Amino acid sequence: MNARYLARQSAQAIFTIVMIVLLNFILFRMMPGSPDRVNPRNPNITVEQRQAAKARWGLDKPLIPDQLVAFVSSTLQGDLGYSMKYQGQPVVEVIGDRFWPTILLIGLAEVIAIFGGLTLGAYTGWRRGGKTDRVGNGLSLILYSMPYFVIGMPLIIIFAAGLGWFPTSGMLTAGATYTGPLDFLADLVSHLILPLATISLGLIGGYSILMRSSVTETRAEDYIATARAKGLSDGKILRAHAIPNALLPAVTLIAINLGYVVGGAITAEIVFNWPGLGTLTVDALNARDYPVLQGIFLFLGVSVVLANFGADIVYGYLDPRVRR
Amino acid sequence: MSAAPLTVEGARRARWRLRLRNTRQFARRYATRRDGMVGAAILLVFAALAIAPTLFVGPLETVTTATGAPLEPPSLEHLLGTDEAGRDMLNLTVHGARVSMVIGLLATVITILLGAVIGIVSGFVGGRTDQVLMRLTDFFLVLPTFVLAIVLAPIILDIVGTDAEFFSIRATLFVIVVVIGLTSWASTARIIRSQTLSVRERMYVDRARVIGGGRGHIMRRHILPNVINLIVANTVLVFAGAIFTETTLAFIGLGDPFSPSWGQLLNAAQTAGAPGLGAWWMIVPPAFCVVVVILSFTLVGNALDDVLNPKAGLRR
Repeated sequence: MNARYLARQSAQAIFTIVMIVLLNFILFRMMPGSPDRVNPRNPNITVEQRQAAKARWGLDKPLIPDQLVAFVSSTLQGDLGYSMKYQGQPVVEVIGDRFWPTILLIGLAEVIAIFGGLTLGAYTGWRRGGKTDRVGNGLSLILYSMPYFVIGMPLIIIFAAGLGWFPTSGMLTAGATYTGPLDFLADLVSHLILPLATISLGLIGGYSILMRSSVTETRAEDYIATARAKGLSDGKILRAHAIPNALLPAVTLIAINLGYVVGGAITAEIVFNWPGLGTLTVDALNARDYPVLQGIFLFLGVSVVLANFGADIVYGYLDPRVRR
Repeated sequence: MSAAPLTVEGARRARWRLRLRNTRQFARRYATRRDGMVGAAILLVFAALAIAPTLFVGPLETVTTATGAPLEPPSLEHLLGTDEAGRDMLNLTVHGARVSMVIGLLATVITILLGAVIGIVSGFVGGRTDQVLMRLTDFFLVLPTFVLAIVLAPIILDIVGTDAEFFSIRATLFVIVVVIGLTSWASTARIIRSQTLSVRERMYVDRARVIGGGRGHIMRRHILPNVINLIVANTVLVFAGAIFTETTLAFIGLGDPFSPSWGQLLNAAQTAGAPGLGAWWMIVPPAFCVVVVILSFTLVGNALDDVLNPKAGLRR
């Protein structure tokens, strides 16, 4: 690993995180409804009281550098302020409570979608123009055009409301008591299957399209022709020569997209009322709970940057050409 | 070429002939793409619905002018059933076409303008300007734009107020347009920049510079015409993305209940508990339209990309 490449990628990641923190600061100041802007409308509040409130929140100090320094240092210490809706609860705790349900749901969905999407893409790309390709790629394009909630709502109607196989919402049955861990797991899984299917289906389309174009590109390479000339079977060429080479760009793009998935899956969580970051975002949005919204933005922003950074490093390690 | 274009008039005529020939060639090649043609036909139908929804289903029904009972399943009277307030779903869906398509179009215009200008300037001017603009682009590429849109929309909305109007578009919808535009130009800028970098090196650009053409002139008259193909193909794909984002933002409650887009209708269905009630007719019509329109835009965009940029065919 080239030290210069590593340094450049780190510098860029740090720069982006700094920009995100700054953007968060600016957005905070742009928000209407600061004590200073609301209080003058109330005739019962004296100038002294206003000054006291401003002093208490540090708003009497200049924006730059005092307020900025205070903001950045508290952000660095993991203090993102307090939620307005869940009164008095620190934003970090509010987000922390909703973190694991989202990770569980999206982590599993990613695994399924990566296997499903890459397999589908590899076969459609290999048989490009054939019947498999037309059906498979058509399916991928349709799935790719569907927002998560458009997939999820029909699933509820068919499998939950209609057939009654799965519950319609939540992560666990409300007020249920469990006789053992297996019982608990069964309840969790029955709640998990539909949202999991929704997000997996939503992701498969994009991954399959990606892998298809990557395999198509590899198909024209000389080593494929060599493999064919050696008399290898079609399936063997695909598995041993085409797929391994096509995987690299596809997997890198998937890694880069990992961070976006959390943001995109917000609507799937809403449809199934899954108690994760997505429902938290919309609850905060409807209550105009700005500190929580800012916290989510910071958290997801930094996650995306780190995912990107990781993907760049891994890609640089695997493919020497990009280490310029 | 019959006669050499010796006069200005002759040169002009020759240029037009060339353009006409290129257009014909393009049309012939595009017509061979069945997926692109199907997509274009579907989009024409939806464009007609969006331009004159009242012609097809009458004025938009509101809670007070609702024509049916709440939650009626599809019947001869209400072909697509009614929603929880008794409004005809066919009426709402057709009117939703206008809102969704107009928001998508305006957001696309902002995205493409920003992306094209930043891409061309960055690629052509180069140096420090390029570095600054590209850092900015990278930043917007990396940002989780959808989450940024969610954070930005209520802030802008609280600043301008929900009752304000811009160009006779209600503030809520205008904010969605601006938010989509501001958060999705980065990939366009990247694509345009890389093409500009290659066009900049061509001989005619040097010639234009030698005879004293200014930067602005060269960018407008020599760079832009040579990246316009890329811009056109990208526009169609951006349109698909804009409608996707609008639908999602409206679904999570940032839409305008008074001029419902398809996403807003799906939000209403979710709020009314339609999935749990099994009221599929509240969900299927808007959902179907969203998917079909996004799919059509994607098909047309891919076909255009292949036809206008011959090299892209090898990529895909």
